[in-house]
Amino acid sequence: MDSKDTDATIVSLLTQHQPAIHLYVESLLPGDRAAEDVAQETNAIIWEKRGDFKLGTNFKAWAFAIARFQVRKYRYKQATESRLVFCEELEEVIAEEMADTLEGISDHHMALQECLQKLKPADRELIYHRYFKKSPLSEYGQKIGRSVGGLKVTLHRVRNRLQVCIEKRLALQKGLRA
Amino acid sequence: MSQVQWGNLIDDLLDGSISEADFLRLEAQLRVDPTLRQRYYARLKLENGLRIESERLGGSSSELAIPFWRKHAIALGAGASIALLLIIGLSGWNVGRQAAQEAPLSVEPRAAGFAVLSEYSDAAWEDGVRLNRGDLLPQGPLKLRSGVAQLELFSGVTVILEGESAFEVHSPMEMTVAKGRIRALVPPAAKGFKVNTATGGVVDLGTEFSLDVTPEGSEMHVIEGEIEWHPNASNVRSLTDGQSLHWTVDGEFSSSGFASSDFPRLEDFERRFLGQRQARREAWEVASAEVASDPRVLAYFPMNSEELGRRQLADGSGSGFHGTIVSARKDADRWDESSSALNFSPAGSRVRVSIPGEHRSMTFYCWARIDSLDRMYNSLFLTDGHELHEPHWQIMSDGRLFFSVKKRESWPERPDKHITYSPSFWDPSMSGKWFQIATVYNVEAQTTTHYVNGKAIGRDFISDEFLVDTVRIGAASIGNWNEPTRNDSTFALRNLNGAIDEFAIFADALSSEEIAELYEKGRP
Repeated sequence: MDSKDTDATIVSLLTQHQPAIHLYVESLLPGDRAAEDVAQETNAIIWEKRGDFKLGTNFKAWAFAIARFQVRKYRYKQATESRLVFCEELEEVIAEEMADTLEGISDHHMALQECLQKLKPADRELIYHRYFKKSPLSEYGQKIGRSVGGLKVTLHRVRNRLQVCIEKRLALQKGLRA
Repeated sequence: MSQVQWGNLIDDLLDGSISEADFLRLEAQLRVDPTLRQRYYARLKLENGLRIESERLGGSSSELAIPFWRKHAIALGAGASIALLLIIGLSGWNVGRQAAQEAPLSVEPRAAGFAVLSEYSDAAWEDGVRLNRGDLLPQGPLKLRSGVAQLELFSGVTVILEGESAFEVHSPMEMTVAKGRIRALVPPAAKGFKVNTATGGVVDLGTEFSLDVTPEGSEMHVIEGEIEWHPNASNVRSLTDGQSLHWTVDGEFSSSGFASSDFPRLEDFERRFLGQRQARREAWEVASAEVASDPRVLAYFPMNSEELGRRQLADGSGSGFHGTIVSARKDADRWDESSSALNFSPAGSRVRVSIPGEHRSMTFYCWARIDSLDRMYNSLFLTDGHELHEPHWQIMSDGRLFFSVKKRESWPERPDKHITYSPSFWDPSMSGKWFQIATVYNVEAQTTTHYVNGKAIGRDFISDEFLVDTVRIGAASIGNWNEPTRNDSTFALRNLNGAIDEFAIFADALSSEEIAELYEKGRP
């Protein structure tokens, strides 16, 4: 296979594993907005090192190893800051288990799209503010006259509802495919 | 602590609002409680999905048609050109993501170009340019080495170029000719159309004219109507029917009359284009007969056969696996020959086939015209239901090819198959264009390779865990999926919104050279 073909393969694999790489990094850096940047850096490193990847071996494992390294590097840089980080032992377990739960992400996402449609407009609005605007809940609370505490509870419930809906749909799909 | 409370802590953790005490508590629990860890993973997935989805939906609650994969796919896979994709590669990724956040509302699909190549005859382009009928003309200077090409500008102007010529289209109303002979037909709506040359510019006032640009100067003939000649360093002159003007680089000129019958009519060109198209189609028919007699072919449906009845599609391979046409209607094929393709856009359209046996490596091959990808899954070829060892071949709404062979029954958290996606090769600017699409499932090499127009656009390795060396087809559909889920409208519609004029299944892996050769021989 010439290098152009190899590159095409890597691009294909990289594209295919984007959601998994992002999620993987996020699982190790919960609630940290820099997770996105770390995932992007991981992409760049994967691309740089594509020559090291042996076609036919497990791409995901290889990519995740790079991602983990990038997470550690980021941690090291952040060491002076007092961010809360999981202890190494737990991180190890999460890294391993997370890798196993990342199949079927696109199905998950499609199910989410449908479940979002079923939300009440007010709930959808809240989701939109929380995730798209990324505006503090206090700001949105003021706008619609609700307390932050109340909104947090609502958000939690909406997420629960979405999760139940997604699980049902995935189960239904599996049933139909089987 | 209750399940609910742990759940709240996970949300706080992901929000970044957790207190140190709670963090330590949660960490301790996560270490010992695998169920809680699963909840954490599930929540992460939801969180991630919501973020992507919010970006996608942008500021409005209306459904904007940008698939969530798009921004990844665009950066890496727009168009089939791997070289291009490597250039924009990773830098484009970030840009794409930022754009999605900052300008979520400007999602109207866009394409670049001012003209399409509407016809050609023996056209050869310089600098590795390859153009098919219906292609958008690339921007920038172009050189036609030989042959004839007809352009349709979006203003309605028709331009016929004869090689050898060098030109550039700047807008639907303006072009430059550095060298060569052109013929322009300018409808009233495009009055004011301008052609620049080294010695001056022609402004058209609604007409048909010819212009010949050489290193020595420009020569123009007005066949009908009126044009203005704006020389670089002299006054404007106007010319009407039957007048010609020769203008040298030194500003010397001569004018004379001519008979318009000395010039070939546009119809003459059209006849020539049509003749060429038919010749190309005939060349394909020869190649098609070779495919039909290829011992590796399992079933072959060139859709131009009139052998069988209206609802039966003949298997040209001689195996006798004739298909049954459901709902699909006849359409023009990729050479514009009527009734030689099947259009699958009417609801329920499909061709039902039944192909017995067990096979190792396989090649799925077709020429398809995609009008839109408005379904989540747009079918090329799918076996009924989703049974063990059966292949599914389709196009995702974002333009990625999908191919899988089901390896085992699924159970929670265990995938039942390996799916190979290509990068995205299609966007709405390609609506109505014909593509050669092929996917090769190679059991020996353990690869799946997707091809578009003779080129590999994506290849993937299949691990031993998912490799199937006894592929079965049985009852299946071209252009649709049978037994779509009954109670879910989003999944129910899977017919291809477009047409197919040639379809083949080989019980072997075709090489990339063979795919490329088939493309060359079958190019419309």
